[in-house]
Amino acid sequence: MKKINLKPIFIASALVLSLLSCKKSFEPSTAIDENSALTNAADIETATIGTYAVLRSPAYVRSSHFLMEYPGDEVAQGQPSSDDLSRAYRYTHLATSDHCTSFWRQAYFVASAANKIIGAIPDDASPDLRQLKGENLFLRAMVHFNLVRVFGRPYPQNNGDNPGVPILKDGLTEQEQLTIARSKVKDVYNFVIADLIKAADLMTVEKANPFASKQVANALLARVYLYMEDNTKAVEFANKVINSGKYSMLGSGEFGNYFRGAPEGNTETIFAIRHTKTQDEDFSAIGSMYYSGDAAGNAKEQAFSGWGEFYASKKYYDFLITNPTDIRLSFISPYKVGGVLQMNTSLNPATPMYYINKYSLQEGVVNLSSPVYLRLAEMYLIRAEANAKLGNSQASLDDVNLLRTRAGLSGTAFHTLGSIAAASKTILDVVLEERWLELAFEGHRAYDLFRNGRAVIRNYPGTHALNVSPANFNQTISSSDNRVVFFIPESEIAKNPALIQNP
Amino acid sequence: MIKVYKKTGSVFYKIDQLLKADYNYSLKNLLRGVFILCLVLLINSVQAQNIPAQMIRGKVVDQANQPLIGVSVKVKNTTRGVTTDVNGRYQISASKTEILMFSYLGYETLERLIGEQSTLDITMISETANLTEVVVVGYSSKNAKQLSSSVSVVSGDKLRDVTSNDLSSLLQGKAPGVVVSTNSGDPTESSNILIRGAGTISAGAGPLIVVDGNIGGTYNTSDVESVTILKDAAATGLYGSRAGNGVIIITTKTGKSGKPKIEFSSAVGTNKASTGNFKLMNTQQLYDYQTTFFTPEPAALSTNTNWFDLAFRTGITQNYTLSASGGNDKTQYYVSGNYYKEEGTIQDNDKSTYNFRTNLTHRLTDKLKMAVLVNGIYTKNNYDPSGLLYQAYTNMPFDSAYNAIGGPRDPRTVTNWYGRDNSNFLHNLQFDQSNSNNLDLSGDLNLDYVIAKNLSFATYNRVKFGSFRDMSFYDKRSSSGSTNGGELYNSSSNESNMISSNRLRYDRSFGQHTISALAVGEASQNYYNVLSTAVKGLPPGRPYASTATDVLTNPRGGKNESSFQKILGQADYNYANKYFAVASFVRERSSRFGNNNPAANFYQLGASWIISKESFMDKISPIDFLKLRTSYGTTGNAEIGDYAALGLYSIDVAYSYANAPGAAPLQKANADLNWETQKTANAGIDLSLLKRIDLSVDIYQKTSNDLLYRKPLPATTGYSFVWENIGSVRNRGLEFNLTTKNLVNKFTWETNFNMAFNRNKVLQLNEGAIFNNPGSRQPIGLGHDIDEWNLPVWAGVDPATGDPLWEKMILDADGKKFLTYTNNYNSVSNSTSRQYLGKSAAPKFTGGFSNEFGYKGFSLSAFFNFVYGNYVYNDSRFYFDNDGVYEKYNQMVLADGWNRWTKLGEIATHPKPILGGNNASNSSSTRYLEDGSYIRLRNVTLGYNLPKSLLGQLKIANARIFVSGDNLWTGTRFSGVDPEVVLGSGESSFKYPISKKILAGLNISL
Repeated sequence: MKKINLKPIFIASALVLSLLSCKKSFEPSTAIDENSALTNAADIETATIGTYAVLRSPAYVRSSHFLMEYPGDEVAQGQPSSDDLSRAYRYTHLATSDHCTSFWRQAYFVASAANKIIGAIPDDASPDLRQLKGENLFLRAMVHFNLVRVFGRPYPQNNGDNPGVPILKDGLTEQEQLTIARSKVKDVYNFVIADLIKAADLMTVEKANPFASKQVANALLARVYLYMEDNTKAVEFANKVINSGKYSMLGSGEFGNYFRGAPEGNTETIFAIRHTKTQDEDFSAIGSMYYSGDAAGNAKEQAFSGWGEFYASKKYYDFLITNPTDIRLSFISPYKVGGVLQMNTSLNPATPMYYINKYSLQEGVVNLSSPVYLRLAEMYLIRAEANAKLGNSQASLDDVNLLRTRAGLSGTAFHTLGSIAAASKTILDVVLEERWLELAFEGHRAYDLFRNGRAVIRNYPGTHALNVSPANFNQTISSSDNRVVFFIPESEIAKNPALIQNP
Repeated sequence: MIKVYKKTGSVFYKIDQLLKADYNYSLKNLLRGVFILCLVLLINSVQAQNIPAQMIRGKVVDQANQPLIGVSVKVKNTTRGVTTDVNGRYQISASKTEILMFSYLGYETLERLIGEQSTLDITMISETANLTEVVVVGYSSKNAKQLSSSVSVVSGDKLRDVTSNDLSSLLQGKAPGVVVSTNSGDPTESSNILIRGAGTISAGAGPLIVVDGNIGGTYNTSDVESVTILKDAAATGLYGSRAGNGVIIITTKTGKSGKPKIEFSSAVGTNKASTGNFKLMNTQQLYDYQTTFFTPEPAALSTNTNWFDLAFRTGITQNYTLSASGGNDKTQYYVSGNYYKEEGTIQDNDKSTYNFRTNLTHRLTDKLKMAVLVNGIYTKNNYDPSGLLYQAYTNMPFDSAYNAIGGPRDPRTVTNWYGRDNSNFLHNLQFDQSNSNNLDLSGDLNLDYVIAKNLSFATYNRVKFGSFRDMSFYDKRSSSGSTNGGELYNSSSNESNMISSNRLRYDRSFGQHTISALAVGEASQNYYNVLSTAVKGLPPGRPYASTATDVLTNPRGGKNESSFQKILGQADYNYANKYFAVASFVRERSSRFGNNNPAANFYQLGASWIISKESFMDKISPIDFLKLRTSYGTTGNAEIGDYAALGLYSIDVAYSYANAPGAAPLQKANADLNWETQKTANAGIDLSLLKRIDLSVDIYQKTSNDLLYRKPLPATTGYSFVWENIGSVRNRGLEFNLTTKNLVNKFTWETNFNMAFNRNKVLQLNEGAIFNNPGSRQPIGLGHDIDEWNLPVWAGVDPATGDPLWEKMILDADGKKFLTYTNNYNSVSNSTSRQYLGKSAAPKFTGGFSNEFGYKGFSLSAFFNFVYGNYVYNDSRFYFDNDGVYEKYNQMVLADGWNRWTKLGEIATHPKPILGGNNASNSSSTRYLEDGSYIRLRNVTLGYNLPKSLLGQLKIANARIFVSGDNLWTGTRFSGVDPEVVLGSGESSFKYPISKKILAGLNISL
């Protein structure tokens, strides 16, 4: 008996001591300490990939698409929805908008992730590190440009002297980040331009089009200058990209499948936000709103693969089909049963179901898409618009006709100075029409109209008709309308009262 | 040890390391000291054993002079003991100075000094009420009458009136201040418990569960002997950091020495969904409604499908338990097996559990007792894979569910499907599945050692393993799986928890003084890992990953770890069983907190006075017992993620891009992150009158400081949130528990009534903030209830236009607010127009009311629980009560008292419907905020104990048959199917209604 008693005490004590000597702190398995995240070149490269991934988030890609594309006149929402995306389409904006909030937040997360890397690389670092710094500068510039497009009035209005968005540069203190105010539109543009010029200078490594490189920065500069009406610079930078030899237009034969392949294999794409096969957003994808069908590209009823409730507007489709051979018709998949075009009957008059497939069917996955942000065709259109405004009419028309040739048009479909005059149009009218045809659904149309002082005019079936009672599908939003811009997210104002709301 | 910080070489890190080293060192030293002390005392005690013993004999009978079999006879302060035989006789060896203790379940324990006697015959007195109730509190068991703290005890039998194997659900309404709420009638989901109001924001709000003396652990409700709920700091304090939300102590059954006892209990019955005041439209109603703003197709009138009925069914609940218990003076055992299966009221949803438990205690020597507890629980859950609940509410009655040959219609093959989502859950249910299985195993090894007469050492150790697997399969034939040619999601995780708790106890009496002291050293470590995969391209009906042809998303996996270490000391003092005092101190360290603050100290004080033992009370004869109690102390809360204090870059696959691995900022660092602490003061009174009435009343104030909060940040900081310690919140309340024995003769009637009132107020927020989370529905406002709603205020319908109206507050130049009305939602969705109306998601009071009647072998009990004064945001009305936003969703029938605007001048509750919505009338506002008060008949049970005369021939000791009904009636004004929601979040969305159950059962013991 006497001996037995010792054992449990020994055991217990050993147990106690061994347990108490166990680890006192732990590291997570799928995260690293922020202080060691940017200490060497390899880690900075990993973190730069991370900046792109923050950009790739649906909070940015999906929400920004709704805000930039739906205000145009090439899309029609065929049925009511309480999803906030309807408000972007119908111009019934709310300050509590989910998509404005997601886009705003995610855009600043991109800028913030970029800032950490920008701040960690000196300008005289190795070429590889300078390249990475340039890529982060590009991403920071790009999100600022999109933010100021969505929340700030077009640059030509009041010459950029309207409220823009906060400029999130590197090196701000925590207090400055918490209380940052909106800068003027022109100051945001100047910040974007400075970043892009520096980025183009720093970037010397050739990279595939899911990543930024020198010509990507130049391409965005061309667009930014066009938006600012600095037409000379717009031509200059469009030329830099066109003449770089890095990109070439897809031929007419391949053009109809522009969006079906991985972006790396596309010689025309300058920058796309790459989604791999394992990053299929399915019903939450952009394409889900535009298309419902099988992987072979056959249109099916709604909710087969996607919601399929936004269609090419009757206005756009009718305009496009005036040239029935236009290859750009292949980006629209009218939903037909037994050869009969189907109508979405939620509204009266009903909406024709012209599914859009620019955001579907990448690599054979129905809802997969790597949204294209910059492509060579836009460079020609930028040059054409700037030349039109500079009075270089023929140069402008040459670029327009280049695109029309590629679209499979010929003969009388080409514009001449004479044909334009006969149609009582201006050169700019023709350029904007071509931009509309070519870049439809890519987030340009409303800006192209508003920055040129033109109105968005809707005269086709769509839920915008429900804004008034009785329903009326004629809707005109002039470029001076308050709703040309969105409200700053109310929840961000609540956290930072220095942000002043748009009227 | 902390690789991360080595590179930084920060001062904080070094200081912290020093502190840590010091702390560990002292804890180790303490335990080493304990160990040496044990050895010394052991040797001493062995030497002090030589007292001459004699044989004592006797017979034990009850008050009716019937022999009692299996009575435990022990020599006090030793481990020597025997039990009485079939004639109630015993014999035991003991010395003259020793004391014999006689104990038997249901009888008062007696003590007798042996002295010169060699025969000791005993008459046991049956226990009345809870006179000598022993309560398991903290690290020891105490006589309930001597406690200084606020505790509630629910016995296993009282607990199990309702049929469920979720303990929290069983506790609803059974103890004052223990607020149980459930979001769902889904049997695979458990309920929430909140003790004495919300004292935390982002950290876990649930109480700490302690099973059989050690934190954590597994149990099945069928094995529960009793549940003790510790509410004030004096009781919970010993659990230190994790006691801030209260503690629930579960004690499982153990064997009693004596004849083996075999028990079988069973219950079988049906479950039906309760639908309350809620009705969806039928075809004619929906058609008529739609014609007011839309032109529905007349063809739609030919079908009238009730999707709600198709989604729901009558489920079966089964519960069987078989147990055996018994033992002798050395060894006691309890072995049980339980099978529980509950079918949910929606198709394809059920839960089955298989539970096995063995509790063994064995006396290795006179001084050393060992307990081995083993529990295994295997759970299988089936979940609805088809989105059925959502469709039950929203699918259109215009669409028929079945095709011409009686099979479910596939909406994809139908050209004219009215519903928005083109979904028929009946079609998908044929092919899709979603289920999980879960195995939990826990083993406890506990040793109690009597070192010396006054000193004992105990070690409680547990290892727990859990493995969890789940899968969801969407067949290529179903609408959810067709896009990707079939989808399969698998995930599996494992966890392990180890805890060792080591306790040294010293008890001593001298004269009228009794003191006891306790020292505990405890450490725990937790580990968790997970792996999940998603694949696509599977052949029909083959839900196995190897049949897939492609991946859907990249696999995910990782692990989590945390550890806690704790030391504590407690001293109890008792003078003449009249005056009591207790004091304790706890120091605890957790890996979860910032490097600047890994450890925290907690202390507790309590005192009580049994006034009825004072001589001046003798004259007041109606008062049998009167005690005053008071306590004060601090506790903490550490229920946050494992790495909340660290500044992190995520290297998750979510941050990969273009097939390259990436890393991005994930979490903002807060090295100062600290424990949330609660200061709790409690005062209580316990009163017994006329041997019939027992009343306990408690008042308390609990102030939580340094609240752990995931503070939302503006996006320009680069982060969504940061973990911070912010501000403080106070809960004050009153609770009482009243039990009366109204009739005690042949016909018995006992009533219990308990209620708790709680008031909550946010006392302080950081940096002069008015709101913690501005802009949210419950923004946590300074000076307000933590769960109070802050919304734009709905002002009804404009009689002139039928438009919705909201209250718009305008600030004039002097900062004065004045009120206008608007139909423009955007102008009221800002901080100026969002208003507090004193409506909170937390109830003003909660409680329970039960009556039990008995006559001969019959018993009847009825138990109500009630919740009053809370407001529920009925979120799903956004979809089915939205004034025309959707013409492709079914709508609810307007509740009593609601009406819709149709013509000029009409005063209405509902705006004119307009296709696409009327001025955002379904946006977040007080429109959908509803009174969530309810009273529910939680259970009625009618039982009958078969007469002994009949059972004797069958050699059955006891047999009881019963019928029981759960949730048979609910009184509420809430417009949805059921008002019950998780109190606090207060949101009701596509509710899975709770079940009405009717069961019948048989319990037999041999």
